[in-house]
Amino acid sequence: MANLMPKRRLENIGLGITGFCVALVALVVVTLIFMVAQQGLTTFFVDGLNPVDFFLGQNWIPEQERYGALPMIVGSFAVTLLSTAFALPIAIGSAIFVVEVAPGFGRRVFQPFVELLVGIPSVVYGVLGLYVINSLVKAIFGDAAPTGAGILSGSLVLAIMILPTITTLSMDALRAVPKQYREGSYALGCTRWQTTWHVVLKSALPSLMTAVILGMTRAFGETLAVQMVIGGVERSMPTGLLDPASTLTAALTAGLSNATSGSVYYHALWTLGLILLAMSLVFIMIIHLIGRKGAKANG
Amino acid sequence: MSKFDLSRRQFVGIAGGVAALAGLAACGGNGTDTPASTDEGADTAALSGSISCSGATSFQPLVEAAADAFMEANGDVSIAISAGGSGQGLSQIAEGSVQIGRSDVYAEEKLEADQCEGLVDNQVCIVGMGPIVNANVDVDDLTLDQLKGIFLGQITDWSELGGTAGPIQVIQREAGSGTRATFEAAVLGGETAPDSFRPVAEVDSSGTVVEQVAATDGSISYVAFNYMENDGVKALTVDGVEPTQANVESGDFTIWAYEHMYTREDEDASTAPVTQAFIEFIMSDEFAPTVVEQGFIPMADMQVKKDADGNITAA
Amino acid sequence: MASREGALKAHVERINRQDKIATGILTVIVGLVILLVVAIIGYILVRGAGRALTPGFLTNPYNDDVAPGILYQLWDSFYMLLVTLVISVPISLGAAIFLVEYAPDNWITSAAKTAIETLSSLPSIVVGMFGSLFFVVTLGWGISILAGACALTMFNIPILVRTIQQALEDVPRSQRDAALAMGLTRWETTINVLLPAAMPAIVTGIVLSAGRVFGEAAALIFTSGSAPARLNFGSLNFLSPTNPFNIFRPACSLAVYIWRLTSEPTEGSTEIVWGTAAVLLACVLLFNLLARLLGKFLSRRLTAE
Repeated sequence: MANLMPKRRLENIGLGITGFCVALVALVVVTLIFMVAQQGLTTFFVDGLNPVDFFLGQNWIPEQERYGALPMIVGSFAVTLLSTAFALPIAIGSAIFVVEVAPGFGRRVFQPFVELLVGIPSVVYGVLGLYVINSLVKAIFGDAAPTGAGILSGSLVLAIMILPTITTLSMDALRAVPKQYREGSYALGCTRWQTTWHVVLKSALPSLMTAVILGMTRAFGETLAVQMVIGGVERSMPTGLLDPASTLTAALTAGLSNATSGSVYYHALWTLGLILLAMSLVFIMIIHLIGRKGAKANG
Repeated sequence: MSKFDLSRRQFVGIAGGVAALAGLAACGGNGTDTPASTDEGADTAALSGSISCSGATSFQPLVEAAADAFMEANGDVSIAISAGGSGQGLSQIAEGSVQIGRSDVYAEEKLEADQCEGLVDNQVCIVGMGPIVNANVDVDDLTLDQLKGIFLGQITDWSELGGTAGPIQVIQREAGSGTRATFEAAVLGGETAPDSFRPVAEVDSSGTVVEQVAATDGSISYVAFNYMENDGVKALTVDGVEPTQANVESGDFTIWAYEHMYTREDEDASTAPVTQAFIEFIMSDEFAPTVVEQGFIPMADMQVKKDADGNITAA
Repeated sequence: MASREGALKAHVERINRQDKIATGILTVIVGLVILLVVAIIGYILVRGAGRALTPGFLTNPYNDDVAPGILYQLWDSFYMLLVTLVISVPISLGAAIFLVEYAPDNWITSAAKTAIETLSSLPSIVVGMFGSLFFVVTLGWGISILAGACALTMFNIPILVRTIQQALEDVPRSQRDAALAMGLTRWETTINVLLPAAMPAIVTGIVLSAGRVFGEAAALIFTSGSAPARLNFGSLNFLSPTNPFNIFRPACSLAVYIWRLTSEPTEGSTEIVWGTAAVLLACVLLFNLLARLLGKFLSRRLTAE
């Protein structure tokens, strides 16, 4: 068949259509960043709140026009770090087992199993946390945790949620370690544990760190599961792990329905959104830095 | 390669179709499905149009019940009810993106003065609120001052109130909740709790309050009357006055607020009659039994009224 | 000499013991993880099965007096998923093809890649609040299925782009070279050779992403609303808020419904929450299973040809 369409034109059309898709995505992202920044910065530039008071203020009491975001910032970091601390040993441990000790079992049984956890929607984790974990915490700690809601419960729910993320990525990281490394180590008479500890883990370290950061990104940005179990107390600083608290995401979910657009409260909530956005950009940057450093170290 | 030409034509056709659909739908969004009746003498049966109503969740079930009954009676009317809280309802009515914005606080408390211009405040019914405690708490009556002391963090143990010793666990509604605003206006009288005061939980809804109070020993919180009859919680009397409809109507019980359905003065003529008729229906004698049944108080029987600053005067 | 041998023996014993202990601990950890997965999924399904299998739960509206169900929420979930896929699949396909085939190696490409990466790490509530301002107010769509679907699209795109990119890159180099050598343009190569070859992986990726989208709630609360929609399946007026197909009406998905009921519990809502959670989880697991089966089926058919 004779080709009626000049090749050149066809190629340009292809480029145009696909380029448009990419441009659209980029445009939406830019719009998002612009809008969040614009609304979030209004708090400081139009409403005249002092940024120092905002970021370091220890009381978030909208009805008194007091917007100190520190309780939520602390809450977000607390649940992120704590849940990572819970999940990390388990995730790395099981990744080592299924890569180094029982690879066949790992691929056929363990991985599909853990991937099931990734698919569970976050509200379902929230339901589980609300009705099961909160009751457990309450039963264990009694009067110290009168409702069971608090940082500890939030961290436990998050730990379960980020476990599969860290586990699967760690498995990939360990599998990527060249076989020769292990063989060399065994040839020197090292045991499996020595090989794993001194050789495999060390050379997989950058990828493992990426796995951890990605897990933390998920924990930091997780919304409903945390909001449902953490207790939602925003007005002052949490004082302990059993204390009900709030996170940036939880405060947003609870606050957005009550704030009227254009009010100081509304802008202050967008500033919380801006902090979340900035943190996810920071996480991306950390991952890039690790990647670059890892590449340099390996070659 | 005419294949491509065809597909481009198809694409244009599809795009045009989509645009046309979107345009049509946009019309439907703020207008009517069929032109509104201009017949002055028409009765309610001739009403047609679609309106949306968004905002406070506290009396959403009531409005839904009203919408069902209203749509039953007026086949050409459709009312979309969405939730989102008083703040959303007020923002949306101020922007004109809905026809009715539900709120349990006065618009002036949440919106800027210029945003309130052109808004019509329809007070459709009244909601009474009162303190509830965990069923195991052996205190039955609190004075307003004692309540104030508890929610300001000054009274922290039930033994100070004549009950069995044990910490008072305060469960609050979230900042910005209309129920909380009403309760604090009536009880705290403008005072605020110290910064160090931490409730044991801040929850998003009355239903959660009931669940948490029932599950937490020594807890106290506050809910609307219709949430008081629940297992595991106990309603308190305030200064010896029972939280009942009659006591609110007579002015003896002071913790209550209006439920507002804000509309716009400049509402489009195609929807205004529907909006108006719907609000009249909610306030009508015909619908009053449902209002009472759902735990709210119809406007008609009130012997007192409350202004935006919380002052109660004879009606 | 003897002491040195003794020390060596002790050392070997020590490292062997260490090895055994480590293996033991790892085995326990893996056992615990598997137990945890089984416990979580089992608990949710069993706890919710009672309600989920009650007659009418899947076929009654939420406001049914006798046996309230989740029919409308089920419909809204699937319908919103469909609208999301209709929007996100073409865009993702285009973007992925661009990045694999055309992307010039310059700052535009790396900016686009960064944009997609940013999108993938955004907290869902931030997407939701952006949607509540941009789609709902700025574009004037109101609280609607379309606004919700666009918010979901923002989630779905990074996942889809990555899967499709991977699928295209996995097509053997030889196929691409052969097509190009026959004088086909890159566009023709992509449409006629690469896409068909990558199709099994792409379809699997789409279905897997559908599972993710299906359970998302935080981005929807402020874009498609959180009040249960009231639908009339007999309605022929496509602009009515009760018409199931109207994309400009508010909607409430299963996940949002669960959130709404837990944050505003009513009499007996706990049981409905568990029932809905079981149904939601079952749907997501089915999506998972479907993705695997489809992937296998398609690749078998393709290789058979």
